[in-house]
Amino acid sequence: MKTVVFENVSKIYRTRYYQVSALKDINLEIRRGEFIAIMGPSGSGKSTMLNLIGCLDRPTEGEIYIKGTPISGLRDDELTDLRRNTIGFVFQQFNLIPTLSALENIELPMIFRGTDSGERRKRARKLLEIVGLEDVADRKPVEMSGGQQQRVAIARALANSPEILLCDEPTGNLDSKTGEQVMEILAGLRDEGVTVVLVTHDESLRRYAERVVRLRDGRIVDVSAVSS
Amino acid sequence: MYLQLALRNLSRTRVRSALAVIGIIIGVTAITSIGIFGENLKKTVMESFGDIANEVIVLPNSQEGFSFIDERTVELIRKSPYPAAVIPVKADSFEMTYKNQKRFVTVYGLDERGVNELFDVAEGTSDLKPGKTIVGSQIAESLDLRIGSRITVDGKVYRVSGILEEQGARFDIRPDNAIIISERDHKADIFAVIVKLENLGDIEGFKSYVQATINIKDKKVEILEMKSILDRIEEAFGQINLFLMAIAGVSLLVAGVSILNIMLMSTIERTKEIGIMRAIGAQKPDILKIFLMEAGILGISGSTVGSILSIAGGYFVTKLIIGEVSEILSMETVLFAVEGFVFGVGTAVISGLYPAWRAANLEPIEALRYE
Repeated sequence: MKTVVFENVSKIYRTRYYQVSALKDINLEIRRGEFIAIMGPSGSGKSTMLNLIGCLDRPTEGEIYIKGTPISGLRDDELTDLRRNTIGFVFQQFNLIPTLSALENIELPMIFRGTDSGERRKRARKLLEIVGLEDVADRKPVEMSGGQQQRVAIARALANSPEILLCDEPTGNLDSKTGEQVMEILAGLRDEGVTVVLVTHDESLRRYAERVVRLRDGRIVDVSAVSS
Repeated sequence: MYLQLALRNLSRTRVRSALAVIGIIIGVTAITSIGIFGENLKKTVMESFGDIANEVIVLPNSQEGFSFIDERTVELIRKSPYPAAVIPVKADSFEMTYKNQKRFVTVYGLDERGVNELFDVAEGTSDLKPGKTIVGSQIAESLDLRIGSRITVDGKVYRVSGILEEQGARFDIRPDNAIIISERDHKADIFAVIVKLENLGDIEGFKSYVQATINIKDKKVEILEMKSILDRIEEAFGQINLFLMAIAGVSLLVAGVSILNIMLMSTIERTKEIGIMRAIGAQKPDILKIFLMEAGILGISGSTVGSILSIAGGYFVTKLIIGEVSEILSMETVLFAVEGFVFGVGTAVISGLYPAWRAANLEPIEALRYE
Protein backbone atom coordinates (compact mmCIF):
# COMPACT_ATOMS: atom_id res chain seq x y z
CA MET A 1 0.00 0.00 0.00
CA LYS A 2 1.48 3.31 -1.11
CA THR A 3 0.83 6.19 1.23
CA VAL A 4 2.67 8.82 -0.78
CA VAL A 5 3.45 8.74 -4.49
CA PHE A 6 5.51 11.34 -6.40
CA GLU A 7 4.92 11.15 -10.16
CA ASN A 8 7.29 13.25 -12.28
CA VAL A 9 7.06 16.06 -9.77
CA SER A 10 8.78 19.38 -10.39
CA LYS A 11 8.53 22.49 -8.30
CA ILE A 12 9.59 25.87 -9.56
CA TYR A 13 9.50 28.99 -7.40
CA ARG A 14 9.08 32.11 -9.43
CA THR A 15 9.64 35.62 -8.24
CA ARG A 16 9.50 38.73 -10.36
CA TYR A 17 13.23 38.68 -11.03
CA TYR A 18 14.29 35.06 -11.07
CA GLN A 19 13.05 31.51 -10.82
CA VAL A 20 14.36 28.60 -8.82
CA SER A 21 13.88 25.00 -9.74
CA ALA A 22 13.56 23.45 -6.30
CA LEU A 23 12.62 19.94 -7.43
CA LYS A 24 13.14 18.33 -10.81
CA ASP A 25 11.28 15.30 -12.05
CA ILE A 26 10.93 13.45 -8.77
CA ASN A 27 9.51 9.93 -8.76
CA LEU A 28 9.16 8.24 -5.39
CA GLU A 29 6.83 5.92 -3.58
CA ILE A 30 6.56 5.77 0.20
CA ARG A 31 4.98 2.68 1.70
CA ARG A 32 2.61 2.71 4.58
CA GLY A 33 4.39 2.33 7.92
CA GLU A 34 7.75 3.07 6.42
CA PHE A 35 10.43 5.21 8.13
CA ILE A 36 12.08 7.14 5.35
CA ALA A 37 14.85 9.72 5.65
CA ILE A 38 15.33 12.44 3.05
CA MET A 39 18.88 13.69 3.22
CA GLY A 40 20.99 16.17 1.37
CA PRO A 41 22.80 19.48 1.71
CA SER A 42 20.83 22.65 2.32
CA GLY A 43 19.12 23.93 -0.80
CA SER A 44 18.80 20.44 -2.24
CA GLY A 45 15.00 20.50 -2.07
CA LYS A 46 14.41 18.43 1.08
CA SER A 47 12.03 20.87 2.70
CA THR A 48 10.19 21.46 -0.58
CA MET A 49 9.53 17.72 -0.77
CA LEU A 50 8.28 17.70 2.78
CA ASN A 51 5.99 20.67 2.17
CA LEU A 52 4.54 18.97 -0.89
CA ILE A 53 3.82 15.77 1.06
CA GLY A 54 2.33 17.97 3.80
CA CYS A 55 -0.11 19.55 1.33
CA LEU A 56 1.24 22.97 2.21
CA ASP A 57 2.24 23.46 -1.40
CA ARG A 58 1.26 22.14 -4.81
CA PRO A 59 3.64 20.80 -7.47
CA THR A 60 4.32 22.93 -10.55
CA GLU A 61 4.39 19.82 -12.72
CA GLY A 62 3.56 16.19 -12.11
CA GLU A 63 1.26 14.80 -9.48
CA ILE A 64 1.44 13.76 -5.87
CA TYR A 65 -0.95 11.17 -4.47
CA ILE A 66 -1.64 11.04 -0.78
CA LYS A 67 -3.44 7.80 0.05
CA GLY A 68 -4.40 7.63 -3.59
CA THR A 69 -5.79 11.18 -3.81
CA PRO A 70 -4.13 13.49 -6.35
CA ILE A 71 -3.51 16.77 -4.54
CA SER A 72 -2.96 19.24 -7.37
CA GLY A 73 -6.67 19.60 -8.06
CA LEU A 74 -7.74 20.05 -4.45
CA ARG A 75 -9.14 23.30 -3.10
CA ASP A 76 -7.55 25.02 -0.12
CA ASP A 77 -10.15 23.68 2.31
CA GLU A 78 -9.77 20.13 0.97
CA LEU A 79 -5.99 20.33 1.35
CA THR A 80 -6.51 21.60 4.89
CA ASP A 81 -8.81 18.69 5.71
CA LEU A 82 -6.28 16.25 4.32
CA ARG A 83 -3.52 17.86 6.36
CA ARG A 84 -5.53 17.86 9.53
CA ASN A 85 -6.78 14.29 9.31
CA THR A 86 -3.87 12.49 7.71
CA ILE A 87 -0.66 14.39 8.37
CA GLY A 88 1.26 15.48 11.46
CA PHE A 89 4.06 18.04 11.40
CA VAL A 90 7.15 18.20 13.61
CA PHE A 91 9.32 21.25 12.95
CA GLN A 92 12.90 22.12 13.79
CA GLN A 93 11.71 25.26 15.60
CA PHE A 94 9.04 23.29 17.55
CA ASN A 95 6.49 25.93 16.49
CA LEU A 96 4.22 25.71 19.50
CA ILE A 97 1.63 28.45 19.98
CA PRO A 98 3.17 30.65 22.70
CA THR A 99 -0.09 31.66 24.37
CA LEU A 100 -1.25 28.09 24.90
CA SER A 101 -0.13 25.59 27.54
CA ALA A 102 1.39 22.23 26.56
CA LEU A 103 -1.98 20.53 26.94
CA GLU A 104 -3.82 23.21 24.95
CA ASN A 105 -1.24 23.08 22.16
CA ILE A 106 -1.94 19.37 21.83
CA GLU A 107 -5.69 20.03 21.86
CA LEU A 108 -5.49 22.62 19.06
CA PRO A 109 -5.57 20.25 16.02
CA MET A 110 -8.51 18.46 17.62
CA ILE A 111 -10.29 21.79 18.09
CA PHE A 112 -9.86 22.52 14.40
CA ARG A 113 -11.27 19.08 13.69
CA GLY A 114 -14.27 19.69 15.95
CA THR A 115 -13.59 16.98 18.53
CA ASP A 116 -15.68 17.56 21.65
CA SER A 117 -13.88 19.00 24.66
CA GLY A 118 -14.05 15.98 26.98
CA GLU A 119 -12.58 13.61 24.45
CA ARG A 120 -10.03 16.24 23.45
CA ARG A 121 -8.74 16.68 26.97
CA LYS A 122 -8.55 12.95 27.53
CA ARG A 123 -6.59 12.31 24.36
CA ALA A 124 -4.26 15.26 24.98
CA ARG A 125 -3.41 13.90 28.45
CA LYS A 126 -2.78 10.46 27.04
CA LEU A 127 -0.46 11.86 24.38
CA LEU A 128 1.43 13.85 27.00
CA GLU A 129 1.88 10.60 28.88
CA ILE A 130 3.19 8.87 25.76
CA VAL A 131 5.89 11.54 25.32
CA GLY A 132 6.55 11.43 29.07
CA LEU A 133 5.48 14.97 29.96
CA GLU A 134 2.44 14.60 32.24
CA ASP A 135 3.98 17.02 34.73
CA VAL A 136 4.33 20.00 32.34
CA ALA A 137 0.73 19.95 31.08
CA ASP A 138 -0.02 23.49 32.21
CA ARG A 139 3.27 25.11 31.23
CA LYS A 140 3.55 27.55 28.39
CA PRO A 141 6.24 26.88 25.75
CA VAL A 142 8.64 29.49 27.21
CA GLU A 143 8.56 27.60 30.50
CA MET A 144 9.76 24.37 28.90
CA SER A 145 13.15 23.13 27.68
CA GLY A 146 13.77 22.56 23.97
CA GLY A 147 13.45 18.80 24.35
CA GLN A 148 10.18 19.18 26.22
CA GLN A 149 8.84 21.55 23.58
CA GLN A 150 9.74 19.13 20.80
CA ARG A 151 8.06 16.27 22.61
CA VAL A 152 4.93 18.42 23.04
CA ALA A 153 5.14 19.19 19.32
CA ILE A 154 5.26 15.47 18.55
CA ALA A 155 2.26 14.89 20.79
CA ARG A 156 0.45 17.70 18.95
CA ALA A 157 1.35 16.14 15.60
CA LEU A 158 -0.23 12.89 16.79
CA ALA A 159 -3.42 14.50 18.09
CA ASN A 160 -5.64 13.53 15.15
CA SER A 161 -3.98 10.08 14.76
CA PRO A 162 -2.24 10.88 11.47
CA GLU A 163 -1.04 8.20 9.09
CA ILE A 164 1.93 10.27 8.04
CA LEU A 165 4.28 12.13 10.34
CA LEU A 166 6.52 14.72 8.68
CA CYS A 167 9.60 15.71 10.64
CA ASP A 168 11.75 18.61 9.44
CA GLU A 169 15.10 18.46 11.26
CA PRO A 170 13.35 17.51 14.51
CA THR A 171 16.63 17.25 16.41
CA GLY A 172 18.27 20.30 14.82
CA ASN A 173 17.75 22.52 17.85
CA LEU A 174 18.38 19.86 20.50
CA ASP A 175 21.49 18.49 22.17
CA SER A 176 22.45 14.98 21.14
CA LYS A 177 21.02 13.24 24.18
CA THR A 178 17.66 14.96 23.93
CA GLY A 179 17.74 14.44 20.19
CA GLU A 180 18.13 10.76 20.73
CA GLN A 181 15.12 10.66 23.07
CA VAL A 182 13.03 12.40 20.41
CA MET A 183 14.24 9.96 17.75
CA GLU A 184 13.33 7.03 19.97
CA ILE A 185 9.78 8.33 20.22
CA LEU A 186 9.59 8.66 16.43
CA ALA A 187 10.97 5.16 15.96
CA GLY A 188 8.34 3.86 18.37
CA LEU A 189 5.61 5.45 16.24
CA ARG A 190 6.87 3.71 13.16
CA ASP A 191 6.43 0.47 15.07
CA GLU A 192 2.80 1.43 15.61
CA GLY A 193 2.26 1.78 11.87
CA VAL A 194 2.76 5.49 11.35
CA THR A 195 4.58 6.46 8.18
CA VAL A 196 7.47 8.70 9.23
CA VAL A 197 9.19 11.02 6.76
CA LEU A 198 12.30 12.55 8.28
CA VAL A 199 14.18 15.40 6.64
CA THR A 200 17.67 15.90 7.99
CA HIS A 201 21.27 16.46 7.07
CA ASP A 202 22.46 14.73 10.24
CA GLU A 203 24.07 11.49 9.03
CA SER A 204 23.82 9.93 12.48
CA LEU A 205 20.03 9.73 12.13
CA ARG A 206 20.05 7.48 9.08
CA ARG A 207 20.19 4.44 11.31
CA TYR A 208 16.56 5.04 12.36
CA ALA A 209 15.37 4.89 8.77
CA GLU A 210 14.56 1.92 6.57
CA ARG A 211 15.33 3.82 3.42
CA VAL A 212 17.35 6.93 2.72
CA VAL A 213 16.58 9.21 -0.22
CA ARG A 214 19.46 11.50 -1.17
CA LEU A 215 18.77 14.76 -2.93
CA ARG A 216 21.11 17.13 -4.69
CA ASP A 217 20.07 20.23 -6.61
CA GLY A 218 16.45 19.16 -6.66
CA ARG A 219 17.07 15.66 -8.02
CA ILE A 220 17.10 12.27 -6.34
CA VAL A 221 20.64 11.01 -6.64
CA ASP A 222 20.33 7.87 -4.58
CA VAL A 223 17.73 5.72 -2.82
CA SER A 224 19.20 3.10 -0.53
CA ALA A 225 17.84 0.69 2.02
CA VAL A 226 19.40 0.84 5.47
CA SER A 227 20.38 -2.49 6.99
CA SER A 228 19.52 -2.53 10.63
CA MET B 1 -11.33 27.81 23.22
CA TYR B 2 -11.31 30.28 20.30
CA LEU B 3 -12.44 32.91 22.76
CA GLN B 4 -9.63 32.04 25.15
CA LEU B 5 -7.13 32.13 22.31
CA ALA B 6 -8.41 35.57 21.29
CA LEU B 7 -8.31 36.84 24.87
CA ARG B 8 -4.77 35.61 25.40
CA ASN B 9 -3.62 37.11 22.13
CA LEU B 10 -5.00 40.46 23.24
CA SER B 11 -3.37 40.21 26.64
CA ARG B 12 -0.02 39.56 24.94
CA THR B 13 -0.04 43.16 23.77
CA ARG B 14 -1.82 44.58 26.77
CA VAL B 15 -0.91 48.25 26.33
CA ARG B 16 -1.79 48.21 22.66
CA SER B 17 -5.15 46.54 23.31
CA ALA B 18 -5.86 48.98 26.14
CA LEU B 19 -5.16 51.94 23.88
CA ALA B 20 -7.50 50.58 21.24
CA VAL B 21 -10.18 50.09 23.88
CA ILE B 22 -9.66 53.66 25.10
CA GLY B 23 -10.18 54.86 21.54
CA ILE B 24 -13.50 53.04 21.35
CA ILE B 25 -14.49 54.34 24.78
CA ILE B 26 -13.84 57.92 23.69
CA GLY B 27 -15.73 57.45 20.44
CA VAL B 28 -18.75 55.79 22.00
CA THR B 29 -18.83 58.24 24.90
CA ALA B 30 -18.66 61.19 22.52
CA ILE B 31 -21.50 60.18 20.25
CA THR B 32 -23.70 58.84 22.99
CA SER B 33 -23.34 61.73 25.41
CA ILE B 34 -23.90 64.24 22.62
CA GLY B 35 -26.94 62.24 21.61
CA ILE B 36 -28.25 62.25 25.17
CA PHE B 37 -27.52 65.96 25.54
CA GLY B 38 -29.30 66.76 22.29
CA GLU B 39 -32.31 64.74 23.34
CA ASN B 40 -32.47 66.54 26.68
CA LEU B 41 -32.10 69.90 24.95
CA LYS B 42 -34.97 69.07 22.64
CA LYS B 43 -37.09 67.94 25.53
CA THR B 44 -36.39 71.11 27.50
CA VAL B 45 -37.23 73.34 24.54
CA MET B 46 -40.38 71.41 23.74
CA GLU B 47 -41.46 71.60 27.37
CA SER B 48 -40.99 75.37 27.35
CA PHE B 49 -43.63 75.61 24.65
CA GLY B 50 -46.01 74.10 27.10
CA ASP B 51 -49.06 72.19 26.18
CA ILE B 52 -50.01 73.89 22.96
CA ALA B 53 -49.96 71.00 20.53
CA ASN B 54 -53.76 70.88 20.50
CA GLU B 55 -54.00 74.57 19.67
CA VAL B 56 -55.30 75.86 16.38
CA ILE B 57 -55.30 79.57 15.59
CA VAL B 58 -57.82 80.96 13.15
CA LEU B 59 -56.53 84.17 11.55
CA PRO B 60 -58.05 86.53 8.98
CA ASN B 61 -56.69 85.84 5.53
CA SER B 62 -54.82 89.11 4.88
CA GLN B 63 -53.86 88.05 1.37
CA GLU B 64 -57.52 88.13 0.42
CA GLY B 65 -57.99 91.50 2.12
CA PHE B 66 -59.55 90.31 5.37
CA SER B 67 -58.11 92.13 8.36
CA PHE B 68 -60.33 90.89 11.16
CA ILE B 69 -62.62 88.06 12.06
CA ASP B 70 -66.32 88.87 12.21
CA GLU B 71 -68.79 87.73 14.85
CA ARG B 72 -70.50 85.33 12.46
CA THR B 73 -67.28 83.50 11.88
CA VAL B 74 -66.72 83.21 15.63
CA GLU B 75 -70.24 81.81 15.96
CA LEU B 76 -69.54 79.22 13.27
CA ILE B 77 -66.34 78.20 15.05
CA ARG B 78 -68.24 77.84 18.29
CA LYS B 79 -70.76 75.60 16.56
CA SER B 80 -68.10 73.18 15.29
CA PRO B 81 -68.85 69.57 16.23
CA TYR B 82 -65.43 69.15 17.85
CA PRO B 83 -65.26 69.81 21.60
CA ALA B 84 -62.97 72.79 22.15
CA ALA B 85 -62.43 76.02 24.07
CA VAL B 86 -62.93 78.88 21.64
CA ILE B 87 -61.14 82.08 22.61
CA PRO B 88 -61.58 85.17 20.42
CA VAL B 89 -58.70 87.60 20.89
CA LYS B 90 -58.77 91.34 20.28
CA ALA B 91 -55.52 93.23 20.07
CA ASP B 92 -54.31 96.77 19.61
CA SER B 93 -51.50 99.04 20.78
CA PHE B 94 -52.10 101.94 23.11
CA GLU B 95 -50.21 104.37 25.24
CA MET B 96 -50.39 103.42 28.86
CA THR B 97 -49.60 105.59 31.86
CA TYR B 98 -48.74 104.59 35.38
CA LYS B 99 -47.38 107.07 37.96
CA ASN B 100 -46.12 109.41 35.23
CA GLN B 101 -44.42 106.55 33.40
CA LYS B 102 -45.56 106.20 29.81
CA ARG B 103 -45.27 103.09 27.72
CA PHE B 104 -46.63 101.82 24.43
CA VAL B 105 -48.08 98.38 25.05
CA THR B 106 -50.05 95.71 23.29
CA VAL B 107 -53.51 95.47 24.77
CA TYR B 108 -55.37 92.21 24.37
CA GLY B 109 -59.06 91.87 24.81
CA LEU B 110 -60.17 88.54 26.26
CA ASP B 111 -62.82 87.21 28.55
CA GLU B 112 -62.10 85.61 31.90
CA ARG B 113 -62.54 82.11 30.54
CA GLY B 114 -59.98 82.81 27.86
CA VAL B 115 -57.45 84.01 30.40
CA ASN B 116 -57.93 80.91 32.49
CA GLU B 117 -57.68 78.71 29.45
CA LEU B 118 -54.47 80.27 28.16
CA PHE B 119 -52.49 81.50 31.14
CA ASP B 120 -51.66 80.97 34.77
CA VAL B 121 -52.03 83.87 37.14
CA ALA B 122 -49.05 84.36 39.44
CA GLU B 123 -50.55 86.99 41.72
CA GLY B 124 -54.09 88.18 42.33
CA THR B 125 -57.04 86.75 40.43
CA SER B 126 -58.12 86.31 36.86
CA ASP B 127 -61.00 88.73 37.48
CA LEU B 128 -61.55 90.51 34.19
CA LYS B 129 -64.79 92.44 34.67
CA PRO B 130 -64.98 95.75 32.82
CA GLY B 131 -62.54 98.21 34.36
CA LYS B 132 -60.13 95.49 35.47
CA THR B 133 -56.87 94.46 33.86
CA ILE B 134 -54.44 91.58 34.10
CA VAL B 135 -50.86 92.44 33.27
CA GLY B 136 -47.89 90.48 31.92
CA SER B 137 -45.00 89.60 34.17
CA GLN B 138 -42.35 91.74 32.49
CA ILE B 139 -44.35 94.89 32.30
CA ALA B 140 -45.43 94.39 35.91
CA GLU B 141 -41.80 94.17 36.93
CA SER B 142 -40.50 97.07 34.87
CA LEU B 143 -43.25 99.45 35.98
CA ASP B 144 -43.46 98.00 39.47
CA LEU B 145 -47.16 97.26 39.12
CA ARG B 146 -48.99 95.69 42.07
CA ILE B 147 -52.44 94.21 42.56
CA GLY B 148 -54.76 97.19 42.83
CA SER B 149 -52.49 99.59 40.92
CA ARG B 150 -54.40 101.98 38.68
CA ILE B 151 -53.21 102.38 35.14
CA THR B 152 -54.52 104.56 32.37
CA VAL B 153 -54.91 103.13 28.91
CA ASP B 154 -56.22 105.25 26.04
CA GLY B 155 -57.70 107.68 28.54
CA LYS B 156 -59.53 105.05 30.61
CA VAL B 157 -58.52 103.90 34.09
CA TYR B 158 -58.14 100.19 34.88
CA ARG B 159 -57.37 98.50 38.16
CA VAL B 160 -54.85 95.62 38.13
CA SER B 161 -56.52 92.46 39.37
CA GLY B 162 -53.85 89.92 38.45
CA ILE B 163 -50.28 89.46 37.29
CA LEU B 164 -49.52 86.58 34.93
CA GLU B 165 -46.75 84.07 35.31
CA GLU B 166 -43.91 84.45 32.87
CA GLN B 167 -44.99 82.70 29.68
CA GLY B 168 -41.82 82.50 27.60
CA ALA B 169 -41.98 81.50 23.95
CA ARG B 170 -45.45 81.17 22.50
CA PHE B 171 -46.82 81.33 19.02
CA ASP B 172 -50.31 82.62 19.70
CA ILE B 173 -50.09 85.67 21.93
CA ARG B 174 -47.18 86.96 23.97
CA PRO B 175 -48.55 88.51 27.12
CA ASP B 176 -45.31 89.09 29.05
CA ASN B 177 -44.99 92.66 27.84
CA ALA B 178 -48.68 93.29 27.34
CA ILE B 179 -51.82 93.91 29.32
CA ILE B 180 -55.15 92.17 29.06
CA ILE B 181 -58.48 93.92 29.46
CA SER B 182 -62.03 92.69 29.12
CA GLU B 183 -63.09 92.22 25.53
CA ARG B 184 -66.08 94.39 26.37
CA ASP B 185 -63.74 97.29 27.16
CA HIS B 186 -61.75 96.63 24.02
CA LYS B 187 -62.88 98.52 20.93
CA ALA B 188 -60.73 96.77 18.38
CA ASP B 189 -61.81 93.92 16.12
CA ILE B 190 -61.08 90.28 16.71
CA PHE B 191 -57.69 89.55 15.17
CA ALA B 192 -57.55 85.84 15.97
CA VAL B 193 -59.55 83.01 17.42
CA ILE B 194 -57.60 80.51 19.47
CA VAL B 195 -59.22 77.10 19.44
CA LYS B 196 -58.01 74.59 22.01
CA LEU B 197 -59.32 71.27 20.87
CA GLU B 198 -59.94 68.66 23.51
CA ASN B 199 -58.67 65.85 21.31
CA LEU B 200 -55.43 66.07 19.36
CA GLY B 201 -56.97 63.82 16.73
CA ASP B 202 -59.66 66.39 15.89
CA ILE B 203 -57.27 68.85 14.24
CA GLU B 204 -57.81 67.62 10.69
CA GLY B 205 -61.54 67.37 11.20
CA PHE B 206 -61.73 70.88 12.55
CA LYS B 207 -59.75 72.20 9.61
CA SER B 208 -62.14 70.59 7.14
CA TYR B 209 -65.07 71.98 9.10
CA VAL B 210 -63.65 75.50 8.77
CA GLN B 211 -63.04 75.05 5.05
CA ALA B 212 -66.57 73.76 4.56
CA THR B 213 -68.42 76.38 6.62
CA ILE B 214 -66.37 79.57 6.70
CA ASN B 215 -64.18 79.45 3.62
CA ILE B 216 -66.92 78.52 1.18
CA LYS B 217 -67.19 81.63 -0.93
CA ASP B 218 -64.08 83.56 0.02
CA LYS B 219 -61.04 82.28 1.78
CA LYS B 220 -61.84 84.39 4.79
CA VAL B 221 -59.54 82.73 7.31
CA GLU B 222 -56.26 80.96 7.58
CA ILE B 223 -55.51 78.25 10.05
CA LEU B 224 -52.26 78.04 11.97
CA GLU B 225 -51.65 74.71 13.56
CA MET B 226 -49.37 74.60 16.57
CA LYS B 227 -48.80 70.90 16.16
CA SER B 228 -47.20 71.17 12.75
CA ILE B 229 -44.96 73.99 13.96
CA LEU B 230 -43.91 71.95 16.96
CA ASP B 231 -43.32 68.94 14.74
CA ARG B 232 -41.09 70.99 12.52
CA ILE B 233 -39.10 72.30 15.48
CA GLU B 234 -38.73 68.81 16.84
CA GLU B 235 -37.58 67.61 13.46
CA ALA B 236 -35.02 70.41 13.22
CA PHE B 237 -33.64 69.50 16.63
CA GLY B 238 -33.43 65.88 15.55
CA GLN B 239 -31.41 66.89 12.52
CA ILE B 240 -29.07 69.11 14.52
CA ASN B 241 -28.58 66.28 16.97
CA LEU B 242 -27.79 63.85 14.19
CA PHE B 243 -25.26 66.30 12.80
CA LEU B 244 -23.58 66.71 16.18
CA MET B 245 -23.47 62.96 16.61
CA ALA B 246 -21.91 62.60 13.18
CA ILE B 247 -19.16 65.00 14.23
CA ALA B 248 -18.62 62.95 17.37
CA GLY B 249 -18.69 59.90 15.13
CA VAL B 250 -15.38 61.04 13.66
CA SER B 251 -13.73 60.10 16.94
CA LEU B 252 -15.22 56.63 16.67
CA LEU B 253 -13.91 56.45 13.12
CA VAL B 254 -10.44 57.29 14.39
CA ALA B 255 -10.81 54.54 16.98
CA GLY B 256 -11.78 52.18 14.18
CA VAL B 257 -8.67 53.11 12.23
CA SER B 258 -6.53 52.48 15.29
CA ILE B 259 -8.05 49.02 15.66
CA LEU B 260 -7.41 48.38 11.99
CA ASN B 261 -3.84 49.46 12.57
CA ILE B 262 -3.11 47.32 15.60
CA MET B 263 -4.82 44.30 14.13
CA LEU B 264 -2.79 44.64 10.94
CA MET B 265 0.32 44.83 13.07
CA SER B 266 -0.66 41.75 14.94
CA THR B 267 -1.41 39.77 11.76
CA ILE B 268 2.09 40.59 10.63
CA GLU B 269 3.63 39.72 13.98
CA ARG B 270 1.69 36.50 14.16
CA THR B 271 2.22 35.45 10.55
CA LYS B 272 4.27 32.45 11.60
CA GLU B 273 1.68 31.41 14.17
CA ILE B 274 -1.03 31.64 11.54
CA GLY B 275 1.13 29.43 9.32
CA ILE B 276 1.49 26.89 12.14
CA MET B 277 -2.23 26.81 12.77
CA ARG B 278 -2.96 26.39 9.08
CA ALA B 279 -0.36 23.58 8.92
CA ILE B 280 -1.94 21.65 11.78
CA GLY B 281 -5.39 21.89 10.28
CA ALA B 282 -6.99 25.32 10.80
CA GLN B 283 -9.30 26.29 7.94
CA LYS B 284 -9.44 29.89 6.72
CA PRO B 285 -12.71 30.55 8.61
CA ASP B 286 -11.05 29.37 11.85
CA ILE B 287 -8.34 32.02 11.50
CA LEU B 288 -10.95 34.60 10.51
CA LYS B 289 -12.95 33.74 13.60
CA ILE B 290 -10.00 34.18 15.96
CA PHE B 291 -9.11 37.60 14.59
CA LEU B 292 -12.70 38.83 14.42
CA MET B 293 -13.19 37.72 17.99
CA GLU B 294 -10.23 39.82 19.03
CA ALA B 295 -11.72 42.85 17.31
CA GLY B 296 -15.10 42.02 18.82
CA ILE B 297 -13.67 41.79 22.34
CA LEU B 298 -11.99 45.20 21.93
CA GLY B 299 -15.27 46.61 20.63
CA ILE B 300 -17.48 45.09 23.30
CA SER B 301 -15.28 46.08 26.23
CA GLY B 302 -14.75 49.61 24.90
CA SER B 303 -18.40 50.11 24.03
CA THR B 304 -19.65 48.78 27.37
CA VAL B 305 -17.48 51.20 29.32
CA GLY B 306 -18.25 53.94 26.79
CA SER B 307 -22.01 53.63 27.04
CA ILE B 308 -21.95 53.57 30.83
CA LEU B 309 -19.67 56.60 30.91
CA SER B 310 -21.81 58.43 28.38
CA ILE B 311 -24.91 58.18 30.54
CA ALA B 312 -22.91 60.03 33.18
CA GLY B 313 -21.34 62.25 30.50
CA GLY B 314 -24.69 63.12 28.97
CA TYR B 315 -25.98 63.99 32.41
CA PHE B 316 -23.09 66.34 33.16
CA VAL B 317 -23.09 68.06 29.77
CA THR B 318 -26.83 68.57 30.04
CA LYS B 319 -26.53 69.83 33.58
CA LEU B 320 -23.73 72.18 32.54
CA ILE B 321 -25.47 73.67 29.51
CA ILE B 322 -29.19 73.39 30.22
CA GLY B 323 -28.94 73.50 33.98
CA GLU B 324 -31.48 70.84 34.82
CA VAL B 325 -32.00 67.22 33.98
CA SER B 326 -35.44 65.75 34.32
CA GLU B 327 -34.31 62.13 34.50
CA ILE B 328 -31.02 60.39 33.85
CA LEU B 329 -32.24 56.94 32.89
CA SER B 330 -35.05 57.84 30.54
CA MET B 331 -36.05 55.55 27.71
CA GLU B 332 -34.24 57.78 25.20
CA THR B 333 -31.03 57.89 27.23
CA VAL B 334 -30.89 54.12 27.42
CA LEU B 335 -31.70 53.93 23.72
CA PHE B 336 -28.79 56.24 22.90
CA ALA B 337 -26.48 54.17 25.11
CA VAL B 338 -27.55 51.01 23.30
CA GLU B 339 -27.08 52.76 19.97
CA GLY B 340 -23.59 53.89 20.99
CA PHE B 341 -22.79 50.34 22.06
CA VAL B 342 -23.90 48.91 18.74
CA PHE B 343 -21.93 51.54 16.81
CA GLY B 344 -18.83 50.86 18.91
CA VAL B 345 -18.92 47.11 18.44
CA GLY B 346 -19.78 47.55 14.78
CA THR B 347 -16.84 49.87 14.20
CA ALA B 348 -14.45 47.46 15.90
CA VAL B 349 -15.67 44.43 13.99
CA ILE B 350 -15.67 46.26 10.65
CA SER B 351 -12.14 47.47 11.35
CA GLY B 352 -11.15 43.91 12.19
CA LEU B 353 -12.57 42.51 8.95
CA TYR B 354 -9.70 43.40 6.66
CA PRO B 355 -6.87 42.24 8.97
CA ALA B 356 -8.77 39.04 9.73
CA TRP B 357 -9.38 38.44 6.06
CA ARG B 358 -5.71 39.03 5.34
CA ALA B 359 -4.65 36.67 8.09
CA ALA B 360 -7.02 33.97 6.89
CA ASN B 361 -5.81 34.25 3.31
CA LEU B 362 -2.10 34.01 4.00
CA GLU B 363 -0.52 31.18 2.07
CA PRO B 364 0.24 28.56 4.74
CA ILE B 365 3.66 27.81 3.32
CA GLU B 366 4.66 31.47 3.10
CA ALA B 367 3.34 32.15 6.59
CA LEU B 368 5.23 29.21 8.01
CA ARG B 369 8.49 30.44 6.51
CA TYR B 370 8.01 33.94 7.90
CA GLU B 371 10.56 34.88 10.54
